[in-house]
Amino acid sequence: MAMLEKDQMLSLAKKAVNVALVKGAAEAEAYVYEGQTINVGIERGQVTKGNRIIDQGLGIRVIVDRAVGFAYTNTIEEQKTIEDTVLRALSAAKASKPDSDWKGLIEKKPYAAAEKTYDSRILELRAEDLVNVAFDMLDAATSVDKRVFPVEGGVGAAYLSNAIANSSGVEGFDKGTIIECSLATVAKEGSKVTPVCFEFNAERSYNVDANWVGKEAARLAVSALKTKRIETKNTKLILTQFALQELLYCTLINAVKADNVQRGQSAFKGKIDEKVASENITIYDDGLFPGGLRTATFDGEGAPRQKTLLIEKGILRNFLYDNYTAKKENKASTGNAVRAGYLSTPFIEATNFHIMPGAAATEELLNEVEDGLIIYYLQGAHSSNPVSGEFSVVATPAWKIEKGEITHCSRGVMLAGNIFEALKNVSAVANNERKMGQLIAPWILVENVKVIGK
Amino acid sequence: MEEVLSKINGIAVQKFGAEYAEARVQKLNKTMLTLKEDRVEAAKQGIESGAALRVLVNGAWGFASVGSLKAEELMSAVSDACKMAKMASTRLKTRIKLAKTKTVEDHVQVKSKKNPVEVQMEEKIKTALAVNKATLGYDNRVKSCTIDYLDLTGTSYFVNSDGTCINQDRLYVWSRITVTAMLNGVFTFSREEIGSTAGYEIFDANAPETLGEKVAKRAIEQLAAKSPKGGKFPVVLGPNVVGVFVHEAFGHLAEADLALAGGVLAENLGKKIGSDFVTFYDDGTINGAFGSFKYDDEGVPAQKTLLIKDGVVTGLMHNRETAQKFNVEPTGNARAEDFRVEPIIRMRNTYMAPRDHSFEELLEDISFGYYFKSFRGGQANLDGTFQVGIQEAYEIVNGEIGEPVRNASISGNTLETLFKVDAVGKDFELWPGRCGKGQTAFVCDGGPHIRVKEVLVGGNA
Repeated sequence: MAMLEKDQMLSLAKKAVNVALVKGAAEAEAYVYEGQTINVGIERGQVTKGNRIIDQGLGIRVIVDRAVGFAYTNTIEEQKTIEDTVLRALSAAKASKPDSDWKGLIEKKPYAAAEKTYDSRILELRAEDLVNVAFDMLDAATSVDKRVFPVEGGVGAAYLSNAIANSSGVEGFDKGTIIECSLATVAKEGSKVTPVCFEFNAERSYNVDANWVGKEAARLAVSALKTKRIETKNTKLILTQFALQELLYCTLINAVKADNVQRGQSAFKGKIDEKVASENITIYDDGLFPGGLRTATFDGEGAPRQKTLLIEKGILRNFLYDNYTAKKENKASTGNAVRAGYLSTPFIEATNFHIMPGAAATEELLNEVEDGLIIYYLQGAHSSNPVSGEFSVVATPAWKIEKGEITHCSRGVMLAGNIFEALKNVSAVANNERKMGQLIAPWILVENVKVIGK
Repeated sequence: MEEVLSKINGIAVQKFGAEYAEARVQKLNKTMLTLKEDRVEAAKQGIESGAALRVLVNGAWGFASVGSLKAEELMSAVSDACKMAKMASTRLKTRIKLAKTKTVEDHVQVKSKKNPVEVQMEEKIKTALAVNKATLGYDNRVKSCTIDYLDLTGTSYFVNSDGTCINQDRLYVWSRITVTAMLNGVFTFSREEIGSTAGYEIFDANAPETLGEKVAKRAIEQLAAKSPKGGKFPVVLGPNVVGVFVHEAFGHLAEADLALAGGVLAENLGKKIGSDFVTFYDDGTINGAFGSFKYDDEGVPAQKTLLIKDGVVTGLMHNRETAQKFNVEPTGNARAEDFRVEPIIRMRNTYMAPRDHSFEELLEDISFGYYFKSFRGGQANLDGTFQVGIQEAYEIVNGEIGEPVRNASISGNTLETLFKVDAVGKDFELWPGRCGKGQTAFVCDGGPHIRVKEVLVGGNA
């Protein structure tokens, strides 16, 4: 399927808005999306498959008497499908219930440029290039130790573009690229199998380090072979980015979303300018972070992406807004409306949730720990209480730190506590930040977390 | 449609040298709602259609998905799929082969009492508003209510180069209600899902008022609940928690792809890994259940698959590729979320078989322990470590249900824990859910109440 050009996508979006207005919408917004992906998959130590996916579509949101209707289609080749989609959006709006808080779609504002989000070299990658990256990664992993078994993984490259237009004059087009390689491994010794250890590297430009991914995934698995039991007690934890991503996605990130705050389901309601974390914690939501995995020019409603200070040295400063929640408080959107392609209406989500790095090198952070654990992978973080922040999760596995050295691992270790309490107990932040999904963060050291051993 | 797809497969085999080719086409309609309290955020209707072409060339898989049903797009997609497979095969040591299956020609039509297509959007909104009203009206400490609703209808075609040709209708109705409550800085959270492949009549069995009240009551009850103690305790698990335990702690390990990937079950086939009371099935044939279908996405009939009988591992869940590796029949567990992705091994309706104990008998010997009634989430690792978070729990004191407990979770190793199941109830419930394994699959999990002699409870007290 031919790739859609900027002009084609914009004119499709504008046409859909016009059709909607002609057919009786008070306001209308159209979103056009295209994603082209190729990836090769690794299963049980070898490259076994290659996929190519082309996905395009159009989503139309209309407002009739303050009621919102939405329809989408992935057939955008013909004029008739635009009209049909508009009519379905209108019928949905007419069936729906007026919203007295609806204050209109977003108005046009200037966009800042998103930096380092597009690399034409990624567009030119072919299946054989990705296969070669996968081979490099596999060879790197198996060269570390013969007890390592690469379970699964892959290399993928994607081109994503979108265009938006609405009846208040918003008009935007953006495109980006992404390349990712990942590897999950276990180490086997006799009948002993380690938990799955995982590493990956995702970038917006063509500079992924497959060799590092392979070696690191293997190193972690091998280091999980030596196990000892652990006692139940309160201890120091170093949370790596993997653990932070799991824990924060379900708790802290929910707490700073304006709709949760307005609806009384955020522990941060009414706490602006209050201390909610240790002074070591400063967090921005940075929708314009150069090369960030979630960086873009505008958000899912056409609001400019921006850098928003959320927590400043432990003090809560702001929340994440979309157009609807912002207008409710007579504020401007922070550019945090996000869409699942053309399939969904916009919803509030963090962009690049950036925990600012500290000064400590990783060795220095480890040296702070006389007796504690370092946590990579967690199980069950999604079963945390998203409102209260209470969690009860399993580290799979937890690595023991003794006198600043990582010595062995322990399996089935449970961690229990409250994420908001834990944030207040962050005693140090390392300087090793990395990108992981919507998180950009370093390792952090948390004091006094309850650990339950077997 | 079938003829075009058959021709595409022919091109893969004749022109590109594929050993096997399959074409899957879907035309789907979705209706979705999101309510936040009494605000209808948006009423949504979507149409998706597209094709997935999957081929085996030189023993490697190639796959292409395209959101179009035009013949020239399908031709170009099948050529892409074959090129991808050829490239992937360059350093293949073990070629992929498929288990032989009987070819099928069938047209599966959905017959539902209340087809969601025939229910007006207004009616669906009315139902959701009634659920919302029941939650917020239950108690003024209920602070928020979010309701998601989805119905999915449509049809799919599956044609492969072996001669199988299936046209199968699809129908799913699903809703999730989440409620939060607050009092004096204590926040609680409660969730319930319903789901069916039968039709909109699911709201007859789950009246909006009853549904709303149930979710709200749980959130309110937790406000006064205490934190559990951390450590090892005897527990009684309700059918909802048994279901997620069977699914997460055992089911994923019994997916043959994960078993082959180093999971602990491959080497335990035919061995005893649990007490005599442990019998598990994965069953795709239960009428109307959320995880049921007639044919999987490789054209293999769904079946009732025995996974453990009286503690002994009897089988795994297979697609055609893993069935060939294990030299068994495929079990009909290959499922793809939609035409954008390839089929992988997924569960259907996974459950533990009931035995003979009453609920009171399960409790009576426990001097102190926990009753875990409803789960919040669960996850497992290939090494058999599982975690299940609990949203509704009570203490058991001297054989009786005691005070409510909040934010508990249980963990352990599956193989150790199954031996500790020492009594199994005679009741049975099946719960709908959505399982994530890169793709989302609609499933059910369930079982009776059971007692576990000892399990690690994660708690804060």
